[in-house]
Amino acid sequence: MSSRWTRLTAAMDRLYEFDREPVTPDKLQSGGKFAGLFAGEHVAATEFVIGAFFVLHGVGARDLLLGLLLGNLLAVLSWTFICAPIAVRTRLTLYWYLRKIAGPGVTFVYNIANAFLYCVLAGAMISVSATAVGILFGVPVPGLDAVLPTSVGWVLITVALGAAFTTMAVLGFSKLSRFAEVASPWIFVVFIAGAVAMLPRLGVSPDLGNLWDVARARVWNGVAAAGQEQFGFWHVLSFAWFCNLAMHVGLSDMALFRYARKWTYGLFSAFGMYPGHMLAWISSGIMVAAIGREMHPGLMAYEAAGVAGVAGVLLAGWTTANPTLYRAGLALQTITSNWPRWKITLIAGGATTVLACFPVFFLKLLDYVAIYGLILMPVGAIVFAEHWVFPLLKIEQYRAEKRGWTFNASALAVWLGTLAICFSLPLHLYFRWLPGWFIAMISYTALMAWRRVR
Amino acid sequence: MSNRLFRRLSGGLALVSLGLCLAAPVVFFLGRISEGTYKRAFLLSSIAWFVLATARARADKDGPSGR
Repeated sequence: MSSRWTRLTAAMDRLYEFDREPVTPDKLQSGGKFAGLFAGEHVAATEFVIGAFFVLHGVGARDLLLGLLLGNLLAVLSWTFICAPIAVRTRLTLYWYLRKIAGPGVTFVYNIANAFLYCVLAGAMISVSATAVGILFGVPVPGLDAVLPTSVGWVLITVALGAAFTTMAVLGFSKLSRFAEVASPWIFVVFIAGAVAMLPRLGVSPDLGNLWDVARARVWNGVAAAGQEQFGFWHVLSFAWFCNLAMHVGLSDMALFRYARKWTYGLFSAFGMYPGHMLAWISSGIMVAAIGREMHPGLMAYEAAGVAGVAGVLLAGWTTANPTLYRAGLALQTITSNWPRWKITLIAGGATTVLACFPVFFLKLLDYVAIYGLILMPVGAIVFAEHWVFPLLKIEQYRAEKRGWTFNASALAVWLGTLAICFSLPLHLYFRWLPGWFIAMISYTALMAWRRVR
Repeated sequence: MSNRLFRRLSGGLALVSLGLCLAAPVVFFLGRISEGTYKRAFLLSSIAWFVLATARARADKDGPSGR
């Protein structure tokens, strides 16, 4: 067993070898790079679904605007005050920092969990793209309560798209990344153009005099669609905050911020949250209202921007599923160390394609995003405790690294225990992560302090 | 044409085409053009963006010439 772990650990370390050393001062990047990176990364295919679901969940216009303003602000502050300071002080990725804190065994488990979650996310992106291609072939989009594939046509389209996306990811990840850089400003424009073009259909006059009245009466009218839970201000605020929970509070964006000159560069995440999330979600809300509140991203974009809109949905899915597939492959490669990258990307792509056939992942995207963040959040709390709280309480840091532990049992127990508590809390799914973060941080500190005394 | 001039030209025109992508729905919203015209204009401006922005990105990758 131990030799197996040693082999796995060595394989995993080889994969991440290129970023093992802390970033040197000559590699630090300007603030403009971070602004561009965030602006490009946070306009994905899933934004077509998220903004539309706020409408279907009956959010009121005022609740939406206030919730998005404050929730995105909290997300920006989380990047600025939680993620960026640790990244700038350590100049390490979460992978290497977690390895020092929790041991290579826990890091391995984290990698595998991450890989599976990435595959589901990429699957949802493929499903969104499939709604666009389905228009060309007259394939109906599954209903809001669908879990299993609803037609042969849907399965054929998702499999074809999944195969195409996977093949392209296998053939040239870096070329696709460059293409994504070209596509992302245009995809953002598709959202804005689509929303503006749909305003006359909703009855907005050219002088915008009745814009607020139309927004309240015909878009975010406070009436949930049949079978959809009623959402309000707190749901929107919480969702906007935790939408990227794994990245900010969960600390996986340490990989980016280790290149920042100052921790205040976390504020540049606002370029992703406000023009990206906030405007894109508002735009997709307007589009879904204009097509009669049908959850059909392809139809929304087609009605709003014609063929270019369909291409927008397809490209948004493709360019965002590509890095997600790559990351899933990288994480999975730890258990198949002698396999080439193309083979593991193929496996990840195959699994993702199968998941994409099940419409539940994109039709329950909001809940999935909450679960995704919740699962990885305790790891961020553990790292936060070890980095900031341990020195204050004079608890020895990095004991896993110093004593050669494969598993820091306290870290693993806190991670699993926090998840067990979170899933049993009598709260809405969206509100469970916040008490969970404090539970993880405090219990990990207490356990490690107790181990010191013992 | 030097690479630098090409980069500037293609970059500038790419931005213009992206601006046209945004202008087309605004003009449609103001009632100056029909929906069909807006969608055609948006499609053509989009194609122009991809051609020009890709050319600019390739020129960036190739690096400055004339050295």
